Amino acid sequence: MIWIALLGPVIALLMHLSRGAIVSSLTAPGALDPLLVSIESGAVTLGVLVLLGTPLAWMLARGRLPFPRVWEAGVLCSLLLPPLVIGLLLVFMVGPYTPIGQLLNDVHQSATNTFLALVIAEVYESAPYYVLGAQSAFGSVDPRLEQQAGLLGDRPRRVFRRVTLPLAAPGLAMSLAVAWARAMGAFGAVIIIAYHPFGIPLQIYTTLQETGLASALPFALVLLVVALPLPLAAYTWSARAGRRRRG
Amino acid sequence: MLDADVEVDRRDFTVHVAVSVAPGERLALFGPSGAGKTTLLEAIAGLVPLRHGQIILNGRVLTSTAPPVRAVPAWQRRVGLLRQDPGLFPHLSVRGNLGYAPTAVPGGSELTELADMLEIGGLLSAMPARLSGGQAHRVALGRLLLADCDALLLDEPYSGLDAALRRTLTDLVGRLVQDRRVPTIMVAHELPDAQAFADRLAVLDSGGLLQIGTPHDVVLRPASRRVAELVGYLGFVQVRSTRSGGKAGAAGAGPGHTVAGVHPDRVITGAHPERGVVLAGTVTACLPAGAGWEVGLRVGQAVVICRLPERPVAEGGQLVVTALAPPCFGPDGAELPVAAGDQSQAWPEQVSA
Repeated sequence: MIWIALLGPVIALLMHLSRGAIVSSLTAPGALDPLLVSIESGAVTLGVLVLLGTPLAWMLARGRLPFPRVWEAGVLCSLLLPPLVIGLLLVFMVGPYTPIGQLLNDVHQSATNTFLALVIAEVYESAPYYVLGAQSAFGSVDPRLEQQAGLLGDRPRRVFRRVTLPLAAPGLAMSLAVAWARAMGAFGAVIIIAYHPFGIPLQIYTTLQETGLASALPFALVLLVVALPLPLAAYTWSARAGRRRRG
Repeated sequence: MLDADVEVDRRDFTVHVAVSVAPGERLALFGPSGAGKTTLLEAIAGLVPLRHGQIILNGRVLTSTAPPVRAVPAWQRRVGLLRQDPGLFPHLSVRGNLGYAPTAVPGGSELTELADMLEIGGLLSAMPARLSGGQAHRVALGRLLLADCDALLLDEPYSGLDAALRRTLTDLVGRLVQDRRVPTIMVAHELPDAQAFADRLAVLDSGGLLQIGTPHDVVLRPASRRVAELVGYLGFVQVRSTRSGGKAGAAGAGPGHTVAGVHPDRVITGAHPERGVVLAGTVTACLPAGAGWEVGLRVGQAVVICRLPERPVAEGGQLVVTALAPPCFGPDGAELPVAAGDQSQAWPEQVSA
């Protein structure tokens, strides 16, 4: 029952879409530009998360950081704060009149209403989903296996590559997929700090404001089509990896 | 040659043990839970830091707390550790596990030959989740052997397996380490496993080494009452020492101070004073045990357990047995050594209740 209820919005979307509305909305000049912006910013966001979030998640999982609760609270902070509030606070953190903003200005960059701003907003909205998921994935790897690999003669980096990473990979993939979906749908912080360039969520919002619900629905479908394949692929892959391990 | 003199702090006591194991020699560590056996192995493997001490393997200083201070990381020690959980990598096939070590060649003939020897040659493409406990342990053992370790540490590796499989694997490990001239230390929970495996047996308790020697010597001549308790002596009866000239007499152990340890498996029915201490008492319990009977015998204040091949008198009846050449202990718990030729002399008599 709850499963059907959770799927309700998707079913409603599919029921209210007409072929004509999809074609006319998506073939308008520049209609798909926001899709490209969303995919590009989402890809950069994932890169940032993998590069910076993975080591943090591993250190949290292995207790390598002093005061681990403080670090976890820091990660949870952007999950617990409403996205709109994050957007407001980001303005105070990286806006043009802040030290960071002025530093960026010195290199002819800006963290408001730019592609960079969009990435920053998406990172803040999706990072906790990735870091906490990755922490759990690393935590599920038995440290004795890593210890055993070391005793067999593997240096720590090789242990990470040959044991830790493959064993955590299904969980990491799922976390990354969820982070991707959150980045694709990031709206609250984005509307405050990165109104331009338009990503898909803002396209939906402005179309809704300007031409009504019927015109906005095709873009909602586009968002789903872009955001969902990665989580579905990650789910399928991790299930297959689990089956392979079970022999 | 493995020389380890380690002092490791634990929460409730300090483990301080020194052992030397020659190439191809098999040393078994035996003792109660929490005696420090695993700590000793982990210290040798480089998994726990030493407070004081030194570990030398084949002339290589692995750890030294004295200048020049040295602590070789675990991955550079070439010391293999096999625990009760075989710790196979679940994402790799049997072949992947066997060939995991950087020194192993996954497609090499050595791997297939060893797999055949371990009777896992037909499982090379199987995943660890499909293996039985015995097969998993064989794979883990093969993986260690292919890693070309300079020393092997086995921490109760076969605890979860049935007795027959434990014996098979113990024999196999024994042969392999002897062939490869690798010093090996095994923590054993069951004394028969330790005896079957080891050239020497070390008894540990509360972080200290109580006795080390051949398994036969340790079991028949425990150095103290505590060692006797640990290796299976289940009853201690007061005896009147009749030894003269030997240390027993010199120690001044008089009636009421000297006790003889009675091992359940070293008791025969009847009075044979020339073979040991004759015990007369009342049967308190009589239960079937394996192919024989386990009898509780009240002797004075003590109850001793005897395993006899035939059912003795019923409970409450009188029974006379002889504890064969029992070790005797003075008031301080130390063994009262038998002087040369003393075996032929009369054994002490039981103190009457």
